[in-house]
Amino acid sequence: MIKAGSNLENILTNGQFAVTGELGPPKSGNYDVVREKARILKGYVDAANITDCQTAIVRMSSLTAGLIAMSEGVEPVMQMTCRDRNRIAIQAEVLGASALGIKNLLCLTGDHQKFGNHPQSKGVFDMDSIQLLGMIRQMRDEKRFQCGEEIKEAEPRLFLGAAANPFADPFEYRPKRLAKKVSAGASFVQTQIIYNVEKFKKFMEMVCDLGLHEKVYILAGVTPPKSLGMARYMKNNVPGLDVTDDIIKRLQGAKDQKEEGINIAVDIINQVREIKGVHGVHVMAIEWEQAVPEIVKRAGLDKRPEMKGFEPRLGARAEIEDAVKKAEQESGRLAPEIDRLKNEVTAANAIAVKEQDRVSGLSAEVERLKKEVRDTQLSMEQKEKEVSRLRAELSQAMSELEAVKAQAASGQSIFVQEQDACETDFIFDPSGGDMTARDQVILNSLTLGLESLRKALGLNEDQFEAIKRFMEAQFVISTGGRQSPAVSAAPVTTAKAVESKPVRVIDTKPAQSEVVADVVAPSIQSQEDLLRKEVVNLIAKANVAMHKKDYETALKTFESALAIDASDVKAQEGAKKARNAMGTVAQPAVSSFALPARPDEITPEQWSFKWLVRYVAQGNVALSAGDKSRAVEAFRKALAIDSKDEKAVAGLKNAEAMQEGAISPKSEMSVAIQPEAVAPKSEPVLAAVRSEVQPEVKAKPAMSAVEAKPVAVTSVAAPVSAGDFEFAREAKSLTERAGAMPANLFIERCSGSIKPVTIGDGDKAVTVGGMNTLPFHLFEGEMANAPRIALDVLDVAPEDWPDSLARHYSDVIGDPVKWAQKSVNEYSAEAICFSMVSADPNGLNRPAKDVAAVAKAVVDAVDVPVIVWGCGNAEKDTELLRELTGLTGNKKVCIAPLTDANYRGLGATAMALQIPVVAATPIDVNLAKQLNILLENLGVSLSSILMDTSIGAVGYGLEYTYSVMERIRLAALTQQDEKLSVPFICNLGREVWKTKETKQPSSELLGDQERRGIMMEAVTAASLMLAGGELMIMRHPQAVRLAKAFIQGLM
Amino acid sequence: MIIAERKPLSEILGMIQGMHRILVLGCRGCVAVCSSGGDKEVAVLASALRLGAVKAGSDMSFGVQTLVRQCDPEYLAPLAEMAKGYDAVISTACGVGVNFIADRCPGVRVLPGLNTTFYGANLSSGEWREMCAGCGSCVLHLTGGLCPVARCAKGLSNGPCGGSVGGRCEINPETACVWHRIHDKLTDLGEADRLMDIMPIKDWRTAGHGGPRKRIREELLP
Repeated sequence: MIKAGSNLENILTNGQFAVTGELGPPKSGNYDVVREKARILKGYVDAANITDCQTAIVRMSSLTAGLIAMSEGVEPVMQMTCRDRNRIAIQAEVLGASALGIKNLLCLTGDHQKFGNHPQSKGVFDMDSIQLLGMIRQMRDEKRFQCGEEIKEAEPRLFLGAAANPFADPFEYRPKRLAKKVSAGASFVQTQIIYNVEKFKKFMEMVCDLGLHEKVYILAGVTPPKSLGMARYMKNNVPGLDVTDDIIKRLQGAKDQKEEGINIAVDIINQVREIKGVHGVHVMAIEWEQAVPEIVKRAGLDKRPEMKGFEPRLGARAEIEDAVKKAEQESGRLAPEIDRLKNEVTAANAIAVKEQDRVSGLSAEVERLKKEVRDTQLSMEQKEKEVSRLRAELSQAMSELEAVKAQAASGQSIFVQEQDACETDFIFDPSGGDMTARDQVILNSLTLGLESLRKALGLNEDQFEAIKRFMEAQFVISTGGRQSPAVSAAPVTTAKAVESKPVRVIDTKPAQSEVVADVVAPSIQSQEDLLRKEVVNLIAKANVAMHKKDYETALKTFESALAIDASDVKAQEGAKKARNAMGTVAQPAVSSFALPARPDEITPEQWSFKWLVRYVAQGNVALSAGDKSRAVEAFRKALAIDSKDEKAVAGLKNAEAMQEGAISPKSEMSVAIQPEAVAPKSEPVLAAVRSEVQPEVKAKPAMSAVEAKPVAVTSVAAPVSAGDFEFAREAKSLTERAGAMPANLFIERCSGSIKPVTIGDGDKAVTVGGMNTLPFHLFEGEMANAPRIALDVLDVAPEDWPDSLARHYSDVIGDPVKWAQKSVNEYSAEAICFSMVSADPNGLNRPAKDVAAVAKAVVDAVDVPVIVWGCGNAEKDTELLRELTGLTGNKKVCIAPLTDANYRGLGATAMALQIPVVAATPIDVNLAKQLNILLENLGVSLSSILMDTSIGAVGYGLEYTYSVMERIRLAALTQQDEKLSVPFICNLGREVWKTKETKQPSSELLGDQERRGIMMEAVTAASLMLAGGELMIMRHPQAVRLAKAFIQGLM
Repeated sequence: MIIAERKPLSEILGMIQGMHRILVLGCRGCVAVCSSGGDKEVAVLASALRLGAVKAGSDMSFGVQTLVRQCDPEYLAPLAEMAKGYDAVISTACGVGVNFIADRCPGVRVLPGLNTTFYGANLSSGEWREMCAGCGSCVLHLTGGLCPVARCAKGLSNGPCGGSVGGRCEINPETACVWHRIHDKLTDLGEADRLMDIMPIKDWRTAGHGGPRKRIREELLP
C-alpha cells in the first residue's frame, strides 16, 4: 500500500534500485548554499536526506532546507530527531512539512547534544526513534495525534524511514532492533556508513533470517572518505563506525586520496548491491556533495528513473507553470520588438563602425600632414644650414679673392676683371680674358650642375647666385694657379690659410689682405717674413681656438705669437680677450676650489661633467644625512663647475632650507628609504630594520650616510640618539586604552625589586637593574635604569665571524685596543665586553699573563665600563682574571664568568676589590639561585652580581631562555625571592653569530645575509630585554642601534 | 539515597557577605551517609568559613548544629529557638532540608550549603553513581532492574542506540551502556524476548513535568 507516494517510495515499491543522497544544511541562513548543493545532487539521487542539526550542531532547519531543495527539484527526506523537540513540536513540524509537500521522513533519536556546539543545552528526548516512528505512523494511518485526539483532516502522509547501525553493539541485537523499527512503522531503512562489508553481510543475513528484507527497503550507507585524515578520524572518534584497516591502507597508498575515496565508495556500492535484501544505496558525501555525481556515474547508477510523485507546494508547480506560461506569452509579444531593436542596434553599430573608420582615416591624414610639416621643417633647417655653410664658403672664397686681388696688385698678371673695391662681390665673365675652350666647357658644365643643384635644394635665386659665384671664384683660382706657375706658391698658401681658418675669424680685412699680400710676395720672402707668417698662422689658430671657446689653447697660441712678435697688436688683443674669457669661465671655480688633476684620456668637458655629477651626488648624500654644511659645500662646488645645473641649484636650495643640525629620523632616511621612514605600527622593529639595512645593501650613497651617522652622534656627545629609525610608540597609554576599566583590574604592582648593579668608574659608569616592575611595564612601576648594550671585543682576530659582521671591524680586528676604541667612538658602545678567547686551553692557550696585559690595555684605552670575559675554562679563568684584577686594581671592571667551579677563588678576589661579577649558570632557575646563594655565603654582595643564565639565540632555544628568565624575574618581583633579585647579563652576540643562519650567503630563499644576521641579533636582544635582560652584549653595530631604538621606544 | 556535594567555599562565602552570626546546620540523614553534610562535615565547613572570613577581614562568627533529619517537622522544631541571634542558617541537608526550613521556620534566613546531585548508590568509598531518576513510573521490571531513564544518556526506551560500542556509552566511555547491560541481563535471565517489545512513549507527568509532585496516604494522615 502506498504510504505517501513520494518519488523514493515509488522507486522502491517498483523494485528499482534506489539512490539517496545527503544534503547538510549550512550553519547560516544562506539560501544559495542549499540551492547549490541541491543542484549538484539533482538527477543523481532519487531523494536527498536533509539532516536535522547533525551531530547536534545548530544549522538551518531540516524543513526549511528541504523546501529549498524541493524548489530546485530535489526530493527531500526530512530528518527528524527527538533531541530538540518534544512530542508537541515534532507533531507540529510534521504537519507543516506535510502541508508543504514533504513526503519522506527519517525518524531518529538524534546525536547527543554533548557532541555539538551547545553541550550545555537540555536534551529533550521526550521519546526515542522507535516511539517517534510509532507516533507518526499513528498520525498517518490512524489519523490520531499521539495523545489519541483525532486529526480531522489532512493527516500527514509520509513515507517513514529509520536508521540502522549494523556495526554497533550488541551485534546480535541489531537486526532485532531493526525489526522493532519496522514494526513501529519504518518503511525504509538507511544504514550507517559501511566500510566493513563482511560484517554488513552477516548483518543482512540476520535481517533476512528475520524476514525483514521483505518488509522494509534497506538502503546501504556509503561515504567516500575524502582523505586519509577523515578515514582515521572516523575510525577513532566516531562511535559505531567500523573503518577497516584495508580502507586506511588503500588511502595511504593512494596518490590522489580524493580519487581513491571515490573508488572506495564505488567498490562498496558494487559489493553491497549483490547482498540480498539491499534495495538501494544511501550516498553520504559529507560536505563533499560534488563527489556524489561521480560516484553514482561510476557505479552505473546515473540513469535515475523519472521523478514521480514529486509535488513541491511552496512556490508550487501550478504557479510556476502559470508564471512560465505568462513569461512565454510575454516573450512572444516582446520577440518582434526585440528583433526590431536588435536590427536597430546592428544598424547603429554599422554606422558607428563606419564613423570610426572615417575618424581613424582622418587622424591618419592628420598624422601624415603633421609628418609632412615636420619633414618640411627639417628640410628647411637643413637647407638653412646648407645656405649658411655656403655663405661661409663664399666669404672664404672672397677672402681668397682678396688675396688674388692683392697678388694682382703686386704686379702679377691674373685675369680677373676689376670690380667694386669695397664690395666682396665681383662679376665673373666666362667669355672674357684668356679662358681656354676647355675651361669654358668645364665652367658651363659646372653652371649646369649648379643649376640642377639649385633645383634639388630648392634654393632661391640669391642663394644660387652666391653659390655660383663661389664656384666660379674657386674655378678661377684653380685654373689661374695652373696657368701662372710663377705664383704657384700663392694659391697654395692661400688655400692653406683658408683651410685652417674658419671664415668668420678673418674679419679684419685690410690687415688680412695686407698680411696675405705680404706673405704671397715672393720677392720679399725672408726670415722675417717667415716669422711673420708664423705669427699670422698662430693668430689664426688662436682665433679658431677662441671660437671653439678653448680659451686656454687660444691664450697659449696667442702667447706663442707674442713670443715671436711681442708688438703684434692682434695677438696682444687676442691674448687679452682669451684671458678675459678664461677669467669669466674659470673665476668661480678658481675662487672656491680646483678640480683634481685630470687624467689624460679624459677631455676637460667630460672631466668637469664627471665632477659635477659627483658633487651633486655628494650634496644629496650629505643632505640625506642631515649634514647641512657638507651639502651646501658640495652643491656650491657643483655650481662652480656649472652654475646652471638644475639639480645642483635645487639641492643647494634644499640644503640651505634645512635646519642646521636637525637630524630627524624621517629626514635622515628620506632620500634613500622614503617609504619605510615612517615605520608602520604593527611591525615597528622590522620596519626600522628594513629602513636601516636596506640602504646599506642597495644604495651606496645612503650607506655612506648611515655610516657617517655614528660619528655625528658622538661628536654631539648625545648618549644615544634613537638614530636612524624610530620605534613606534603606542599612541595611547594603557590607561586610555583600558577605557572605563578601573586601573586596579589590570595593574599588578610588584612587591620586590631588582638590585641596581654598577660597573665601571666615573661618569661613564653604567648602572643596570633597579626596576620594581616587569620589563617595560612602566604603567605598573618604574624601571630606574634602561637596559644597556655592550659591544663585544675579542682579543684575537675571530675566525668564524661572517664577513657581514667582520667587515664593520675590518680595520681594527686583531688590535683589541683600537677595536674597543672604535666600538666606543664609532658605534657608541655603552660598555665593552672584552672576550679573552685566546686564553682557552683548548684553543690558542695563550698565557694568562699576556692575555691579562692586553685586557689591561683595553681597560685603560676606553672610558666606558669593561666586562672582562674569560675563556670559559674555570681554572684558566681563575688564573687569568686574578692576574688581570691584579693589573687593573680598584678599577670597577666586571669579571666574568663565575661558575660553580671557580666562584670561590674569583668571588674572593671580587669581594676584596669590590668589583662586580657575572654569575654564570646553565639555563635553570635553581642553578642560578644556588650560585647566587653560594656567592652571597662567600661574602659577595648580591648588589654586585649580574646573572648570566645562558642564552639561546632565536631559533636556538630562545624560548627556553626566555621562560627561565621570566620565571626568575617573576620570583624576584612577585615572590620577593631576594636571591634572584639581581640583573641579567645576556651575552647574546656570540650566540647569534655562531648560528649557521648568519653564515649562509645571501639567497633568494633566505634573503640578504647581513640583514638576516642583524635581524637575528636584534630580535634575540629584544626578546631577552622583554624577559628582563638588562645588560646585553652584542656585536653588529646595526643590531645595536636597532636594540637601542627598541629600548627608547619602550621607555 | 540522596547524594549531594558541598558547594564551593567561595560561593558560600559570597552568600553570607555582610552577615555576622551564622549557624551551620547539618543533617544526619542521607547527606551524612554520603559524607557531605553530617556532623563532621558541618564542623569542617564552619572552620573553613571562619578562615575565609578572617582572610576577608570580616568579623563573622559561626555556630554549628546538626539535626537528626531536616526533612521531618519534629526534628526541625528546635531550629526556631536555635536560630535565634543568627543572621542566617546554612543548611547542609539536601535541597529538601533547605526547602523545609524555609517552609517551616519563619524569620529564619536559610542558605544551601550543598548541591543536591542525584539519587545514587555508594559504589566504593568516595564514589557514588546515579541509579534512579525518580521519574515516577518505574519500568525496571522490564529492563532487568537496570534503569534506562536514569542511566542512558538519551533516556532511550527501546534498546541501545547506534553509538553503543563495546558495552560503553558514546557520551563517556567510562560509563557502561545501560542498554547493552539490559540486553545481557535479560538474555541471562532468559527474558530476551522483552527486548522485542516496544515500550510506549513515556508519560512524563510522574517525573515532575506534570507539576510538583505530592503523595498522600489517607490511612496515615493524622
